Amino acid sequence: MSKSNIEEINRNIYDIKNKDEYDFKIKKGLTPEIIKEISKQKNDPEWMKEFRLKALDVYNKLELPTWGPDLSELNMDDIATYVKPKTGLSNSWEDVPEDIKDTFDKLGIPEAEKTSLAGVGAQYDSEVVYHSMKEELIKQGVIYTDMETAVREYPDLVKEHFMKCVPVNDHKFVALHGAVWSGGSFVYVPKGVKVDIPLQSYFRLNSPESGQFEHTLIIVDEGASLHFIEGCSAPKYNKVNLHAGCVELYVKDNAYLRYSTIENWSKNMLNLNTKKAIVGKNAKMDWVSGSFGSKISMLYPMSILNGENSKTEFTGISFAGKGQNLDNGFKVVHNAPNTSSLVNAKSISKNGGTCTYRSLVRVNENAKNSKCSVSCESLMLDDISKSDTIPTSDIRTDEIEFSHEAKIGKISDKTIFYLMSRGISEEDAKAMIVRGFAYPISKELPVEYAVEMNNLINLELEGAIG
Amino acid sequence: MITVNETPVRTARNFNINNVKLDELEIQEEIMPFNNFKINNNSVLSSENVSNSNLIYGLGDKLENQVKVNSNKKVKIVINKNYAEPIELEFELDENNSNLVENIEIIAEENKKADVIIKYKSNNIDNLYHNGIIRVFAKKDSCIDISVVNLLNENANNFISIENELEENAKINYCIVDFGGKNSITNYYSNLKGNCSENKINCIYLGKENQLFDLNYIGELHGEKTNINIEVQGALKDSAKKKFKGTIDFKRGSKKSKGNENEFCMLLSDTAKSLALPMLLCDEEDVEGNHSSAAGKVDNKQLFYIMSRGFDYKEAMKLIVKARFNKILESIKDAKLKNEIIYEIDNRLD
Amino acid sequence: MSENLLEIKDLYVNAEEKEILKGINLKINKGEIHVIMGPNGSGKSTTANAILNNPEYKKEKGKIIFGDEDITNLKTDEIARKGIFMSFQLPEEIPGVSVTNFLKYAKNKSTGKPVKIFEFREELKKYMEELNMNSKNMERSLNVGFSGGEKKKNEILQLLVLNPKLAILDETDSGLDVDAIKTVSKGIEMFKNDENGVLIITHNTKILSSLKADYVHVLVDGRIVKTGTQELAKEIEENGYSQYK
Repeated sequence: MSKSNIEEINRNIYDIKNKDEYDFKIKKGLTPEIIKEISKQKNDPEWMKEFRLKALDVYNKLELPTWGPDLSELNMDDIATYVKPKTGLSNSWEDVPEDIKDTFDKLGIPEAEKTSLAGVGAQYDSEVVYHSMKEELIKQGVIYTDMETAVREYPDLVKEHFMKCVPVNDHKFVALHGAVWSGGSFVYVPKGVKVDIPLQSYFRLNSPESGQFEHTLIIVDEGASLHFIEGCSAPKYNKVNLHAGCVELYVKDNAYLRYSTIENWSKNMLNLNTKKAIVGKNAKMDWVSGSFGSKISMLYPMSILNGENSKTEFTGISFAGKGQNLDNGFKVVHNAPNTSSLVNAKSISKNGGTCTYRSLVRVNENAKNSKCSVSCESLMLDDISKSDTIPTSDIRTDEIEFSHEAKIGKISDKTIFYLMSRGISEEDAKAMIVRGFAYPISKELPVEYAVEMNNLINLELEGAIG
Repeated sequence: MITVNETPVRTARNFNINNVKLDELEIQEEIMPFNNFKINNNSVLSSENVSNSNLIYGLGDKLENQVKVNSNKKVKIVINKNYAEPIELEFELDENNSNLVENIEIIAEENKKADVIIKYKSNNIDNLYHNGIIRVFAKKDSCIDISVVNLLNENANNFISIENELEENAKINYCIVDFGGKNSITNYYSNLKGNCSENKINCIYLGKENQLFDLNYIGELHGEKTNINIEVQGALKDSAKKKFKGTIDFKRGSKKSKGNENEFCMLLSDTAKSLALPMLLCDEEDVEGNHSSAAGKVDNKQLFYIMSRGFDYKEAMKLIVKARFNKILESIKDAKLKNEIIYEIDNRLD
Repeated sequence: MSENLLEIKDLYVNAEEKEILKGINLKINKGEIHVIMGPNGSGKSTTANAILNNPEYKKEKGKIIFGDEDITNLKTDEIARKGIFMSFQLPEEIPGVSVTNFLKYAKNKSTGKPVKIFEFREELKKYMEELNMNSKNMERSLNVGFSGGEKKKNEILQLLVLNPKLAILDETDSGLDVDAIKTVSKGIEMFKNDENGVLIITHNTKILSSLKADYVHVLVDGRIVKTGTQELAKEIEENGYSQYK
């Protein structure tokens, strides 16, 4: 990549703050009254209202995690859990209010929709403001819509799957999500349908002192395949924002799902997201994840390999800078014979940032003949940052091959000298090595996103190196 | 019930690895005397008091206090010359000496060298109990080899806390053989304080029936150019269970230090369980840290090859396990001890 | 610019606080091939690294003049952009950066002009053929998983692409079989012309069987103890270095 390309990046695009205008913003805090009000605002069916209230009960009973980053600055009394934007849902960008459309324009969403996506959903604060999909997919029976529409129009499918993969009592922030969830995407790919071009949902949180709690539910039916991309960002405010989304993925027998995320929340965000996939017989679930933003992130996507011969791969990178504590990782449970998992996790820490790789590999008694291979690599860019690797393995059968490898270190002086001897400046040499380090992840992303990721890396490296 | 052996950093509770909970264990307040102790070289014994300072990690307050307040054996060793022959300490538990709560302190003076073997043995009776602390202080340029050998029976309760401090250029090499105990719980902590200090840990464990091993090894690198190497090899049969936690912690300032950790668990039955948490914690840029952890069963091709040479299944298995342990066994300099360990492997895998 | 390409004046260099070079003097003119020979540990690689100002090597005294410019304390990348290239004894592996992208970027840096991708790829292909390199290597990560021979050839490929004024080849011939040495020599011949210079650093004479040197310098214990012609190399091949110690 040439230098001019680096200079072209406008670091402000993620930071555009629109006026905090909304149709409705719920009172801060969490009480049954507030939950009932959200439910009313959202025109929930009765079962959903009951579900929310039960989830609130569970939330109140559960403790904060006793491990990981310190979450004490989070005070739910200071967070508005529901902010309804001043617009309804449209399927034409023309109908989206100018300033909101402008934000998504600058993030490149409508442009990507034209060139490389089969469908787009765009959420602004608590509600999806735009959803659209190519005609031919509609004809093939693919459903791609916002979660509220799904609750109304596909109640059976939703009831069967909603918070069954991620149960409400999983942890405190899942319970919170269950109580206040709003927005998100619903995808159903019918049996045998292969969606060749990705669908993308983009989540934007504009409102200060608020939370985003979108729910993404994807069902890839038998023999079907899908690539789904999730993007997220927010402008930076002084007080914390909270993101506690939930992603439930059902990859049925012989199906394939790739779920890619480029997360670039602002650095006042607490990203306490939960993602889980249940993978059927001969099916495959691939995760690709780039984590750049957030003040604190606790994110451990999970694959449950329930079907024989099912497979999963996780490819992820975290990049923590000043004031960031990114506690990310992956969890996999091998629950059937001949299953396999492959993990390739990387992290970069600089300027006082902390990266932690935290993971679980569990191979159950019945998962005979399974394989699991994990590789972690952490790069320290200075001596004020921190990088921890905390991987747990729990092997309960002998017919397995399990291996885990991790490395930690800095960019070697020898490598920098080698590149400089070819006329490349120290700064560029380091950037080149870091991009190379991240390449196994960026190469898994569609070109536009790989470029975006490289831009983010360059952005993050500016000022950190030299 | 008591909860012991907390890891230096917690992870999710439902990963079941932050600590170990022992349901049936009660800490005895009254400890009967222990008289079955042998040492081959009395000249190293010091009459000074054994250190009673707080452990940095240890197995938890209850077990630590028991040693501090109620120990029935105190041994202080000062190494103030170079010893060619190993110094051997042997504790043998039996009907009349069924509880051992000992406090051992070893001080290696500057530039001195020694080889220390600490062995715990028992006969086959039930309800044996061992809880000990071994503190090692290696002064500048000293070099000390320590073997801690647990050959207790498979029904004993075995608790060991090891704590080391290393000054500049000091070297401590450990060989830990962990075979006995219904519960065998070890906490190991090394503080590589001095520049260029080195700590090598070789561990083998062997589990059968319902044995539980909980190994919590922690190496903190403070000095520059320090080096730690942890190598753990184990085999589990029947319903034995092992939790291995190995932490290499690069503290700020430990520039140009290196840490390596390898763990391999051989699973000899489909009801054996292996949990592992190899941690790398890093606060310093200019370091190199690596860890690897693996688990799997005996290679069928190897097994077939050996059996085709006329060995039966059990013999072949023993051969493979010993081959796996070989690198660590080779590091034991004392031939008598090495043979004793090999004999125990054969015996326990029968 | 004068005929003078590189001049090293009374150079003292320390590595890891040990004195390695103890007063080196060397002059290379345009169109010349120089060889520095010497036993292991005599300071050969230190000389190459000092010219490129590797921060691991500290210059205690002396000057390095390139053309008419003092480059003693310039940064490595600045020296490289002035036109000095060093082929590494152990080239670094850089995961995730392809040979093509790397060379394109380096070329862009050294010429200061944008590189035309199509023409560049063709040029690269042509050189790779000449050097018996698998053109698939173009898309592989730089040096990652390359054999020893492939790495050395890759260094020569970079030399041809970047086309510097002075090429320093640090043990480029070591560890190579006869065929590979021929290919490397061919690469050096392709590079060589009346306007540039070559400094070959080696501990054996293999490469001199297919390449003609103008000057041979013998480096022992941080000093050049003798300078001669190709004949000197032959003599060393027969008698070794012991007479210079």
